[in-house]
Amino acid sequence: MDKGFLFSSYDELPNTWDEMISNTAEIRPQYEAIIECLKKISQEELSKKEELSKQLFMSQGVTFTVYNDNEGIEKIFPFDIVPRIITGAEWDFIERGIKQRIKALNLFIKDIYNEQFIIKDGIVPADLIYSCPNYLREMKGVKVPHDIYVHIAGVDLIRNNDGEFYVLEDNLRTPSGVSYMLENREISKRLYPGILPKNNVRSVSNYPNLLYKKLKDLSYKNNPNIVLLTPGIYNSAYYEHSTLARLMGIELVEGSDLVVKNHFVYMKTTNGLKQVDVIYRRVDDDFLDPLEFNANSILGVAGIMASYRKGNVNIINAPGTGVADDKAIYVYVPDMIHYYLNEEPILKNIETYQLGKPEELKHVIENIKTMVIKKTDGSGGYGMLMGHEASEEEINDYLATVQKNPSAFIAQPILKLSTAPCYINGKLSPRCIDLRPFALSGKDGIEICPGGLTRVALKKGSLVVNSSQGGGSKDTWVIQE
Amino acid sequence: MLSRAANNLIWIERYMERGNGMLSLLKVNFSANQDSPELFSWSPIIKNYNASENEFYTEDAIECIEYLIFNADNPNSILNLVTKARENARSVQEHLSRELWLCINNYYLYLTQKDLIKKLRTEDPVVFLDDLKKFHLMYIGTMDITQERGPSYYFMNVGRFLERLIQISEFTAMKLIEVSKTTDSLEQSFYWKNLLLSVGGYQLYLKTYKSSFQEDNVIHMLFQDQLFPRSMYYCVNKLNRHVKQLIDIQELEKNNTEFLLGKLESTIKYATIESINQQGLNQFVLGIKQDIKNISFSINTVYFSHSN
Repeated sequence: MDKGFLFSSYDELPNTWDEMISNTAEIRPQYEAIIECLKKISQEELSKKEELSKQLFMSQGVTFTVYNDNEGIEKIFPFDIVPRIITGAEWDFIERGIKQRIKALNLFIKDIYNEQFIIKDGIVPADLIYSCPNYLREMKGVKVPHDIYVHIAGVDLIRNNDGEFYVLEDNLRTPSGVSYMLENREISKRLYPGILPKNNVRSVSNYPNLLYKKLKDLSYKNNPNIVLLTPGIYNSAYYEHSTLARLMGIELVEGSDLVVKNHFVYMKTTNGLKQVDVIYRRVDDDFLDPLEFNANSILGVAGIMASYRKGNVNIINAPGTGVADDKAIYVYVPDMIHYYLNEEPILKNIETYQLGKPEELKHVIENIKTMVIKKTDGSGGYGMLMGHEASEEEINDYLATVQKNPSAFIAQPILKLSTAPCYINGKLSPRCIDLRPFALSGKDGIEICPGGLTRVALKKGSLVVNSSQGGGSKDTWVIQE
Repeated sequence: MLSRAANNLIWIERYMERGNGMLSLLKVNFSANQDSPELFSWSPIIKNYNASENEFYTEDAIECIEYLIFNADNPNSILNLVTKARENARSVQEHLSRELWLCINNYYLYLTQKDLIKKLRTEDPVVFLDDLKKFHLMYIGTMDITQERGPSYYFMNVGRFLERLIQISEFTAMKLIEVSKTTDSLEQSFYWKNLLLSVGGYQLYLKTYKSSFQEDNVIHMLFQDQLFPRSMYYCVNKLNRHVKQLIDIQELEKNNTEFLLGKLESTIKYATIESINQQGLNQFVLGIKQDIKNISFSINTVYFSHSN
């Protein structure tokens, strides 16, 4: 292998799967073409490309505003110019695995809000459901169209050092990041003209059409009025909301644009009230309806839940799906797959210890240096304890909190996230990555856009890919073989 | 269309048009001020555009331009106007052509560059102002050739011509104060010439009336000329047309706005120089300003009220 400047500091992490370099120190076939291409470009040109990508994000307005001292600063979500590449065979496996999982999770949610067979059959303990903060009593017995609760899911996958994909989180509420999947691809087209077709990279650009079709199919009307409900311009995902609305050609609305009258939802237009049939909401359950949930919410619409229960409006995703992506419930997903589908799980779960169980808590405390502890209802990489980096004091403090309510915590062995090459300071360096494909469920089945959001921990050695904590993203290429 | 979206579209234009007018005024006053600072001081301009709590005063040209372009506390600074225009545009992207959104976003990014203020302090201020002005010209051209003719376009034009009307009346009122301070007809003609330059009507005026700046002619051109795109007559006509189009496609209810517009139109159309002089030019301008305010208020309350 010709090393050259690009590879001069590619120090693979020990005992870690690298997406580009195999364990025999060869470049994996799926990376050959892009590496050939990169090698032909001078360091100066590559850095120019990196700069170009930043400018493109800025000028297209793919930004979020951080407010500091009343001054808004436009930030971009850091983008790494080297794509992450997935082979056709790997993708087939991922696709089958996610479809299976979403199918089971959707059946689980339906079951939980209706007959609760899975509790009666002793598979999932009742107290776990009722103590879950995202379980919504308000959804009990509600009939949802086509029995679909999770229309949009963004399942987080990681690849462990055994080369296998594991599910980290299911994200069944209002998963974000899909606009970066689309935007990153647009940038790649500009950075590497001609390279995408040469690699047979599968297109992701029909995601908005696919989503629109799924939303439209939910209504019994021929020409339903579909809107996207956003919390507003101060939300960090606002760019995504406006982009999806624009690409689908639907109206972007805020809570104050909607009103409920006689249990129907209307939007306030210059020509009076117009009925709304389908709402793709990017507002959390808790803020959706001040009459039923958080009474202080100004982001939602008073009376919308009553309208929903009457079947007068569709809400996407259905309220209450959070009961199935809770970290305490996660443990039971393989059992759900057995129970509802009578199948072996395709994608693996990460071994998870429920700290509510004394023997598991004991095991975790004994092996704390190799464990990560998380709150069952936490997200965004906050409120975690990474055993290998924490000081004695931090560990003791954290465990004291755990002891107060052990069942609100789970622990997992610290995994070796796979690494992918990133262009950092003029050279390629391995950085940890994950993968969030987006799955869309509708009355005619589940479809997954070939690709997704690859998040990358840009800090050397870091395992945290969250954008709020120094993470960035990459374009994700699925190769058609 | 969503009421909020329509309201945002109107305000994108109002902010952009205000910025455009302000840049013209700054450029014209910069040249005039270098010639005769005693006639063309900065204070009336600062007073007209300073909507912040703080009293601000300077007779230093660059300081004044810097204040009106960059000051973060003044809601009417170019920076704030463009920031708000962009914020509005961002929230109605599905109603704007992609090109128009990129245009506004790029203007915003240009203005928020770190070193831009240094450029103003060290380089030619006229080039600086022209560079900003180019964004407005590009914006107007981009809107013309990319925005489909439909409710968004009509609402935006309502905002544009409403703001332009306000601008003409404000620019005129500002100059009237100066004119009234002197009886020297030469000085007065300087003011009239300066007013024409600020609204971009100087060339047409020369063609029509030659190089003699008389109040009656200037007023006729600014208020009643049918071909000058920054005359009141022209703007009211356009405003009327876009409101009618909105009513025709049932995006607006027929109501008070139409009546108020008709009233203003006839006031401007049928006024004669004699009748204006009879009530006093100042009174006439004040009356028009009040009429515009009422129209703007009527559009705001009737169509965009969120209290529904």
